[in-house]
Amino acid sequence: MTTEVERRTVLKGFTLGLFGLGSVASLGSLLEVLTFPNGQKVALARGVILVDKSLCSGCRICEMVCANFNSGGRNSASLSRILLEKDYLRGDYQPKVCHQCADPPCLKACPVTALQVDRQKGTYARVIDERACIGCQKCVEACQQFFRPSRPRFDVQKHRTVKCHLCFGDPQCVKFCPLGVLRVERSERGLLVGYPVIKED
Amino acid sequence: MKTPHGGWTGKILRVDLTTRKISEASTFDYVPKFLGGRGLGAKICWDEVPPEVGAFDPENRLIFATGPLQGTLAPTSGRFMVLGKSPQSAPTESFCRSGVGGHWAPELKWAGYDALIIQGKSSNPVYLWITDQKAEILDATRLWGLDTYQTQQMIWKLHGNKTRVMVIGKAGENRSRIACILTDTGDASGQGGFGGVMGSKNLKAIAVRGTGTVNVARPKELMEITHHVQRLFARKSLQSNPYEPDEKGFKTNIWGGGYGRGSLSLLPGELLDLCHDPSSGYSQTPDGCFACPVSCRSRVKGTDVTSGVAFCAQSYMYLESMVHQPEKGYSKITWQAAKLGDLLGINAYELMAIIPWLSDCYREKLITEEDTGLPLNEIGSWNFITKLLHQIANREGFGDVLAEGGQRAAAKLGGKAEKLSRMYYPRAGKFAGFREHWVYLGGFPTGYAVPPLALMWALDNRDAMVSHSYISMLWGAAFAVGQNALTAVPEKIFPLLKPVMKAAYGSEEAAEFFRPDGKSLNWKWTAPVVKRYHEHSLLKDSYILCDILFPYLFNANSADHVGDVTLESRIYCAVTGMEMSPEESYSKGETLCTLERALAVRDGRRRQDDTLHDLYFEKEDAGGRKYRREDLERSKSEYYRLMGWDAKTGIPAKPTLQRLGLNEVAEGLEKRGLIGSSS
Repeated sequence: MTTEVERRTVLKGFTLGLFGLGSVASLGSLLEVLTFPNGQKVALARGVILVDKSLCSGCRICEMVCANFNSGGRNSASLSRILLEKDYLRGDYQPKVCHQCADPPCLKACPVTALQVDRQKGTYARVIDERACIGCQKCVEACQQFFRPSRPRFDVQKHRTVKCHLCFGDPQCVKFCPLGVLRVERSERGLLVGYPVIKED
Repeated sequence: MKTPHGGWTGKILRVDLTTRKISEASTFDYVPKFLGGRGLGAKICWDEVPPEVGAFDPENRLIFATGPLQGTLAPTSGRFMVLGKSPQSAPTESFCRSGVGGHWAPELKWAGYDALIIQGKSSNPVYLWITDQKAEILDATRLWGLDTYQTQQMIWKLHGNKTRVMVIGKAGENRSRIACILTDTGDASGQGGFGGVMGSKNLKAIAVRGTGTVNVARPKELMEITHHVQRLFARKSLQSNPYEPDEKGFKTNIWGGGYGRGSLSLLPGELLDLCHDPSSGYSQTPDGCFACPVSCRSRVKGTDVTSGVAFCAQSYMYLESMVHQPEKGYSKITWQAAKLGDLLGINAYELMAIIPWLSDCYREKLITEEDTGLPLNEIGSWNFITKLLHQIANREGFGDVLAEGGQRAAAKLGGKAEKLSRMYYPRAGKFAGFREHWVYLGGFPTGYAVPPLALMWALDNRDAMVSHSYISMLWGAAFAVGQNALTAVPEKIFPLLKPVMKAAYGSEEAAEFFRPDGKSLNWKWTAPVVKRYHEHSLLKDSYILCDILFPYLFNANSADHVGDVTLESRIYCAVTGMEMSPEESYSKGETLCTLERALAVRDGRRRQDDTLHDLYFEKEDAGGRKYRREDLERSKSEYYRLMGWDAKTGIPAKPTLQRLGLNEVAEGLEKRGLIGSSS
């Protein structure tokens, strides 16, 4: 009985998510590339991580696997590109993922164009070129205006900002989440997600 | 010796509350020889806490020790150990350890410390604030007297809600010997009574927030092994497509609850019914300790219950309420009782002995409602439990006696009351005071005798918490053949256990813990099995990994059910970049086990203290078999011989200590005349 209920909850969560994305995808066909007033074009991301927080047990494996995988074995929640916001007393656990925004505030804020769209790996994720980043944290400030805590994070030891790049197309947090809280949504036509569709979370 | 590439952060923080001096020492003075956790704490206690120091003396050390794996991805690495001289150990205060899960340990590592040693006594209430490479002693006058949740809320207001806090409640403040140190909503250092030690130092809380990193030497290898462990312990989907969760047909081997359901889901009743009704506003969901793929604990939310997390000891604390109100089963009262214990900071496991013992005493007319001021004729009611818990926490009236722990209270009452308590406190001798794990030392709730468990109970310096994983194996096998907790029959699981025991302990016969005639117990393999088991336990508690999952003996999902006892050491190698062969790991476990023994010996423990009360030899188990005292004694002799301890006294022999590289321990014992200088 219990498993039935749980599966139903899972499916319901996913269906609702898909429903929302359905409308997004249809819009996406019209708007595969957003053009900004300054003439810069940003292709829509072709993958995004979705969260069903009702299943989350708050174990923080997502954070640890992210830091371990992406920061050369420096394990720390402060280096994780996925953030688990936990209210322990109310028992409210919220994994906060980078939405790979359609109109990414972080990307537009970068003064040295270190923030780019990853066409090479085909994920079209918004990524930071580590060699170009100067650690000014303008992207952190830009993201913070809409999403708290900021999804790009500052690596104090290396004086660089880091952010979610969908692990070259195979997000490790999704792979390691033991409860199936996270999943990847993919679309070759691009997904109209994050800002400006969602303006805060 | 070259410094390891990963794992340890390299610093131990020492706080003297008397002089308010805060200093740092290098972890590498102790590791990798003593690994961390239980081994590290035992070594510090050996150096700094002689037998003359009482548990509540300022000179006693309160040690919070993490191991090399904390703060990393390593599966189930959210744990740490609290160690020191225990006030709960009865009648002699002695060295003890207590493991804690939750999310406190990684914060300490990220703040830059492997361990925290607290000594001295503050003149006024204080709390400790540790963050990124520094520590401060701050005034806690306004926190004193608050419950554990309120204290944490106040500290979160001051230092941010990412701070993790170890905190004591009223019971700890009043130096109860059964007080726990709680973190978040339900993880606690319960057994050992270290809450009372913290209270005796006038220390209300330890708040930690770290933003640093813990380096892993071989990150890719760690991810591989983590994925492997997840596949063994967690959902089946990991074996197929990670993006398509499918849990059908997957058998869990987790003791005390199916995967992803939480331990409370085993207890039907009012509360679970409410949680299953989506419109009720109640919910029961699995909750994980840091980096744990299993999430066996229950997180309960509801409109008129105290929200929070509970694992077995808390969930099962007040089962009397189910007898009191059978129509409700596990009710809101049962849950609220557990949470009230947490709020006041009382060790739930000890209450599981005190409440039934009071009930027994009342039935035998040894105590009355007038003497105790407790509504004893309604044990199981909310009225009874609130009165009892508040009395204990505040040390009012009869609660003052109970706050000393069940065994000390029983000794004070004496006579028949003392005799009745023996059912709950199995170990005889001068180093007891810890409650039994269900019937017949915990092998089967249906009451079957299992010789290795009896030996583990006789030898341990607290309750035989180490037996958890052994019991996971027995239960896992029972579940695998379709038995449940109430129908378990040991004969049926022997065929499953044979290859398992062969792989872990080298003998198929070790699986048969009674003889083919079914009349007498088979003690033949008890000592070697327990020795190897202790080695595994010490390793697991020093790396620090979960008690219930490691050592991984039984695999519910493979054809031969053989587990993998090398997992812990492989995780250790990946994190630290050091090598640890199985032989070396066993020798390390043996070293640490002998060190703990030496500590107990220095406190006065001898062979005659490693025994159980007569009661445990008189009673027949559910299969009509008995533990026999002479069998236990023979196994003890064999165990001592295998460990290289003196069989007459149970004291580690000098050549053994020297072989294991514990020369300073040998000298210490020699100075006290406990081992001959010539031997």
